[in-house]
Amino acid sequence: METSMPDELASRLTLLSEHQATTLHALVDRLIPPDDFPSGWDAGVGDYLARQLVGDLRPLLDQYRAGLDALDAEAQAVVGARFATLGAEAQDELLGRIEAGDVVTVWLVDPAVFFRRAVEHAAEGYYGDPGNGGNSGAASWRMIGFEVRG
Amino acid sequence: MSHYDAIVVGAGAGGGVAAGVLAEAGKRVLLLERGRDLSFEQIERDHLRNHRFARYGHNSRPDLDSHPRVFVDPAGHARVVRPHEDGYHYNASAVGGGTRVYGAQAWRFLPDDFRMASVYGVPKGSSLADWPIDYADLASFYERAEWEIGVAGDSQASARIWPRRRAFPMPPVALNRQGAALRRGAAALGWDTLSVPLAINTVSYNGRPACIQCQHCVGFACPSDSKNGTQNTLIARAQASGCCDLAAEAVVERLDVDAAGRVVGVSYVDRQGLHHRPRAAVVVVAAGAIETARLLLNSASEQHPRGLGNAHDQVGRHLQGHYYPGVYGLMPEPVYDGVGPGVSTATVRFNHGNDGVVGGAMLADEFIVLPAIFWARSLPPDLPRWGLANKRFMRENYTRVMRVTGPVQEIPSPDARVTVDPTVRDRWGLPVARLAGTTHPETVRTAAFMAERSREWLLAAGAERVWGAQPGLYLSGGQHQAGTCRMGQDPRTSVVDPWCRVHGHDNLFVADGAVHVTNGGFNPVLTIMALAFRTAEHIVRSW
Repeated sequence: METSMPDELASRLTLLSEHQATTLHALVDRLIPPDDFPSGWDAGVGDYLARQLVGDLRPLLDQYRAGLDALDAEAQAVVGARFATLGAEAQDELLGRIEAGDVVTVWLVDPAVFFRRAVEHAAEGYYGDPGNGGNSGAASWRMIGFEVRG
Repeated sequence: MSHYDAIVVGAGAGGGVAAGVLAEAGKRVLLLERGRDLSFEQIERDHLRNHRFARYGHNSRPDLDSHPRVFVDPAGHARVVRPHEDGYHYNASAVGGGTRVYGAQAWRFLPDDFRMASVYGVPKGSSLADWPIDYADLASFYERAEWEIGVAGDSQASARIWPRRRAFPMPPVALNRQGAALRRGAAALGWDTLSVPLAINTVSYNGRPACIQCQHCVGFACPSDSKNGTQNTLIARAQASGCCDLAAEAVVERLDVDAAGRVVGVSYVDRQGLHHRPRAAVVVVAAGAIETARLLLNSASEQHPRGLGNAHDQVGRHLQGHYYPGVYGLMPEPVYDGVGPGVSTATVRFNHGNDGVVGGAMLADEFIVLPAIFWARSLPPDLPRWGLANKRFMRENYTRVMRVTGPVQEIPSPDARVTVDPTVRDRWGLPVARLAGTTHPETVRTAAFMAERSREWLLAAGAERVWGAQPGLYLSGGQHQAGTCRMGQDPRTSVVDPWCRVHGHDNLFVADGAVHVTNGGFNPVLTIMALAFRTAEHIVRSW
């Protein structure tokens, strides 16, 4: 399954290559997968990151690029296919090994650190206030039962 | 050159009170504040940049690159840190200081909090000491703070602990669902509880309305102006008196002395970068325990080569705050009802008299925890941080997890200290604060003991499982920072006298947490305010 990005979002993530953006989309949707509430990407984690990677996270942009490239190379080396084209189960298995730093290719960034940061940033975008660009329509707040009443 | 009766440096809990008392006594006051005078709208509700979760900044809006500090970690490695980064120990700089965005817990200390060394002895290597004043010296000023700032509380329950002449001016916050569960648990254990006293209007008070029970209390500004800080009480009164000039975004460079070494005023830089040297008969420093120490040290002169009040190398020592060993419990039913501020129920049963440990802490439930903070801090350690398991835990349990915690009274260490860095300068070219050392190991033991009590309480309340990290040994001194200009009779072991006057300087006073010898097992703000009332009244009386 090839994940695709809406054009407008792709243009806002211009600091990533199209390839990197596709990998990021697939990664975010395994960190916060869809169920009957939206996935990370569908709830705006990509929008949050598009804003942060030119803002507070600008110093990490190169590491994001390198990490996404390495994640894809790791998938190619281990499974022989691009990360974004793998099934959910194969993606999760690969991510579990990256989380533990257990990789077979050469990474220019520490795989465990890259992964931990991606997990944290995805959660910030998903559970943070919509004013930060993610959590579209306060979807995650509806899911967990947090409501702003005053 | 302007001339004032008094200059107050820092418009927070202590400085705001001091300015109000002095101005209403007819003294001409200049109140200088490094931070901004912020509106509710300017403080915003950014869940990633606030005083509860400063992931990328703070909503009191410090310029992140203008005010560096140097932090030396326990392994001895020094690094330059910005206000929202680990090790900085930031408290809000704004008109109102921390009280602009605080949770407003308004506790009195207990009588034994003023005589810790006598009650417990002095642990080896610690600088535990008695205060030179006792609870009775402060009781009437606590009462004054409760009425003039505005505190809501349960007078009857509180009076069992703190005999009081006068009730709280407002009834306590409503009991919420988590508080009700904890009260059932406490009853099963035979523990006394009481409502948490809060400087929040539960009814209309002082011309401002009752709390609307919003979800963004601690760490944020109040949407209905029902939370009482100094900015909407004593500072507002100071300004209404016509006797107080307030200058925000004013960075004080040093306290100036004359040829004889006597304090004559201050030098400061305004927001346009213009330099001013106002003179005054009295100077009150209330910049927070870290910045107050830094200012005294940066005011070295020919007569005072080690800084003001620092002839005996005491300024900046004993930096302390509070350990908060939080424990989380997963409840069988939802305990979150969305009714702010959230904190409602406490016990002071374990503040003293605990076998085998020094001191203790008040324990209470928690303010509403915003979802992003919940994700970052409240999840069980064995839960995967990603994937469906994580998402489902959030979905099923955000409303079922509650936390019990409390401010553990620290056992001070003389090596936990503020100095000024020899090389790093801020935007104004002033040497920055350098923070080093840790609390005393006895603090860690008390914290572990208190975590056990929190576990016990949550389990008695019906928690299905509980979790929480064991604290290690570190420096604490952020929002509750205290101790760096301790009060005492002896100039060799203290910085200010029992009236908070700097030893050797009859017109220089300190009015913030720096004067605390120890910091109680409670949020310290009401004590800072009570002491500021006392100090300012003393200044007025002895004019």
